[in-house]
Amino acid sequence: MRNILRLSLTLAVVGLVSAALLTVVNNWTAPIIAERQLQDYLRSVREFFPGAEQTRQEELEGALFDLIYDGAGNLLGVIGKNIEYKGYGGPVKYNLAVDKEGKIVGYRIVSHSETPGIGDIITRPEYQGKFTGKGPAEIDGVDTQSGATVSTSAIKGSIKRVTAAAGAAFLGMEEERFDISAVPDGIYQGTGKGLLGDIVVEVTVSGGKIAGITVLEQSETPTFFVNAYPAIPDLIVAEQKLEVDTRTGATGSAEGIVKAVRDALEKALAGGEK
Amino acid sequence: MSNIYLQDISRGIIKENPVFRLVLGMCPTLAITALFRNGLGMGLSAAAVLICSNVVISSLRRFIPDRVRIPCYIVVIATFVTIIDMILKAFQPALYEALGVFIPLIVVNCIILGRAEAFAGKKPVLRSLFDGIGIGIGFTLSLVILSAVREIIGSGTILQETPYVAHVFGTAFEPMAVIAQPAGAFIVLGLLLALANVIFKRLNVN
Amino acid sequence: MEKLLSIIFIYILVDNFVLQRFFGICPFLGVSRKMETAMGMSMAVVFVMALATLVTWLFYTHVLVPLRLEYLQIVAFILVIASLVQLVETVLRKISPTLYQGLGIFLPLITTNCAVLAVALLAVQNEFTLVEAVVFGIAASIGFSIALIIMAGIRERLELAKVPGALQGTAVTLITAGILSLAFMGFRGMLSL
Repeated sequence: MRNILRLSLTLAVVGLVSAALLTVVNNWTAPIIAERQLQDYLRSVREFFPGAEQTRQEELEGALFDLIYDGAGNLLGVIGKNIEYKGYGGPVKYNLAVDKEGKIVGYRIVSHSETPGIGDIITRPEYQGKFTGKGPAEIDGVDTQSGATVSTSAIKGSIKRVTAAAGAAFLGMEEERFDISAVPDGIYQGTGKGLLGDIVVEVTVSGGKIAGITVLEQSETPTFFVNAYPAIPDLIVAEQKLEVDTRTGATGSAEGIVKAVRDALEKALAGGEK
Repeated sequence: MSNIYLQDISRGIIKENPVFRLVLGMCPTLAITALFRNGLGMGLSAAAVLICSNVVISSLRRFIPDRVRIPCYIVVIATFVTIIDMILKAFQPALYEALGVFIPLIVVNCIILGRAEAFAGKKPVLRSLFDGIGIGIGFTLSLVILSAVREIIGSGTILQETPYVAHVFGTAFEPMAVIAQPAGAFIVLGLLLALANVIFKRLNVN
Repeated sequence: MEKLLSIIFIYILVDNFVLQRFFGICPFLGVSRKMETAMGMSMAVVFVMALATLVTWLFYTHVLVPLRLEYLQIVAFILVIASLVQLVETVLRKISPTLYQGLGIFLPLITTNCAVLAVALLAVQNEFTLVEAVVFGIAASIGFSIALIIMAGIRERLELAKVPGALQGTAVTLITAGILSLAFMGFRGMLSL
């Protein structure tokens, strides 16, 4: 009995001393390792913001953003890390850098499963360069790539949304909002490009508010379209704005509906067709 | 310094050289010797662990009951390996990345547990220290020789990944890339071992 | 599913633990002299490695991570593996003496088989799920066994061959392993995780 006690006591003492020693060494090296990893990270940040010296982490809509400052503490821009969206082949993660004017500096794909040779165009510098210098309003102007329509329109949708959200949250940008109250009462038709073709909608406006939206024509894939309709029209009516969250599983179609509604309202403002 | 300590050191380098005589610690010997820097880094890390564990185990030898000695040895060795792991991660990140999982695997390097069991667990502290130094030098030397041969033939360079990189045969040299591959590790070590056999036989070392 | 299949294929052939990654070289050189011992060792390794990955994975995820003691990983893993091997030995001796006679002598050797510790560390490092980790352990140990058994087959023939004096013993075994490793290089690049 005493023997077993002595054996286990020896083992326990050796184990405890070992754990204590390792805790001391860990407390000594952990800050050094963290500092080095920060320096490594800053080096990758400087690809986007050459003057970067400090970062501060913020959370927005479940994603982490780093605010990037220079040595004097001036805000240079913001980098969204591991932003995730649903691409054609599965989830895509990317880092997005936006400068302090809310314009895109660039993005890098962290991981993706888009089709090699087709959808993976989103990883190529030539394609990524098309976004440089653009603000959220100008992203619709970037071409989708034929043959890789789903992959490219998905990343465009994600970038547009994140740029606008990050701009509003961190950079003091006003989200550009469509002024619905200025639209006279009436029923208006508008057209927007969906994923596969034009989407035609009819928008009913009464008392400066959107009262209802009906899709008249569309040629989207039915199994995808059910994700966007009637969810997106309902969302627009509920929130009374066009800048709604279009992440639905049918982002292309959802964007198309929003574009069609905007088209209808813009025509209405210009005194167009009833 | 008396004669016995000198013997303890020299025995580890030649007569009981862990790689070329005892054929122990083969995993790191083969795995991380494609570049000279990695071989040297691995040799020194393992030597540091061996020296520390030899000293600690030897000074604890009266307190550790015989029946639990192996678990105790393993804990002591694993502790020093973790310390080396943390220090390399903090101060030599590039080397840390290159050696990868073979740093924690120093724990199961048969040389270290072997020395604890065969020497440090029975002999006084000072002798164990010199034994650790000797075996450590012997192991490092073996890795350095193997990695130098593999880097010169397999990459045509020496001291790659350090500021002192030199192209041994000029930059136009087309290296024999297979030597830097896993297959090359086996073959070069096999040939060096044969060479060592011949040399030791000539020198009449048993 | 796709990932599980690639793990199996990669760690048996493409990234063979012995011939491409150099884990478990000591038993590979030590017990490959006879086919019979090679088979026994293989069986023991498959058994222990599957069990060890399972236990260390659970221990890491449910004990070390919640306690924020990840830095004790090396000490904890080697102790877990050592006690696991001890436990298997004791249980085996009690319930199946015949199996114990076959595997028993190899079990103590396995504690210092770096392939077992490597598989535990890599399963955590690669952020495998529990199922992936166990499959990884089994695939890696099968890869180890294949290399060991092929080597044993070759060495039994080598016994009868005339080998130059200087090359006898480990030297010629290493060169043979090198040629085997060259053959396995043919799988290089077929798959990656």
